[in-house]
Amino acid sequence: VNSDRQLLLVVRAYRALAYLTGTVLIVLCFVGIPLQVIAGNLVIVKYVGTAHGILYIIYVVVAFVMTRMVRMKVASPGTVIVLLAGTVPVLTFVVERWVTRTYINPALAAAGQAKTPATVAR
Amino acid sequence: MSDPPVTPRWRILLTPRWLGWHLFAVVAVAGMIWLGDWQLRRALAGNTLSWAYTFEWPIFAIFGVVFWAKTIKDELRPALKGDNQAPDIVLPGGRDPSRAGQSDFGRSGQSGQGDGDEAAVRDPDSRDPADQELAEYNAYLARLSDEVRRHGRWHGLR
Repeated sequence: VNSDRQLLLVVRAYRALAYLTGTVLIVLCFVGIPLQVIAGNLVIVKYVGTAHGILYIIYVVVAFVMTRMVRMKVASPGTVIVLLAGTVPVLTFVVERWVTRTYINPALAAAGQAKTPATVAR
Repeated sequence: MSDPPVTPRWRILLTPRWLGWHLFAVVAVAGMIWLGDWQLRRALAGNTLSWAYTFEWPIFAIFGVVFWAKTIKDELRPALKGDNQAPDIVLPGGRDPSRAGQSDFGRSGQSGQGDGDEAAVRDPDSRDPADQELAEYNAYLARLSDEVRRHGRWHGLR
């Protein structure tokens, strides 16, 4: 039961970070960089860029722990894509949905979380 | 070959494929350290943003080492546990009977062994969310089982 709660906690942390990192990266790439290139304004790139850098480090660690807990293989394309997704705009959102469908939901179901459909059915 | 059963498990790490990965790991980590050093030089030259990357690259380098170590640990694990591999499981429609007891598989006393259940396993687009969930779960078990069987070893947690 303890490990079940741990799994749920890690999954939630992973999701939060996937969305946060993804959003910050979109701001950086689609607002910050155009501003820098067109207007020569470095403010967003500077602060949002640093924020994304820090978030991505945390994302990598949490996402890696998540892949271990849902029993994805370490050196597998899936794991590598999950880890690198944080550096490609929009990809974290897509990958999060894919991992949820193929690994997280089944793992949660196996852990007994399925009794509360809200956590499984998204 | 007559000796594979006697060959120590770690020898797998010396196959050409693995040597390639070792080389890749070393080059990648060295590259990340070099990038960190480059950012440090830029930072010292007055680029404030580079300070962040100065710390970021070494962290990635450490993570690269952890990733590499975990991969090897995964590869060698069965040798530590002996040959208590899971038996060859046949999964009709992605079912895994060996998990029935220890998990929530077939949690549905309701879905039982009915034909509707079988249909749901075959048809992932089934409307009933519970069946959908079961189908996903079965697919997951099938995938894990397949991964284990294809590599002849267990890639699990810890």
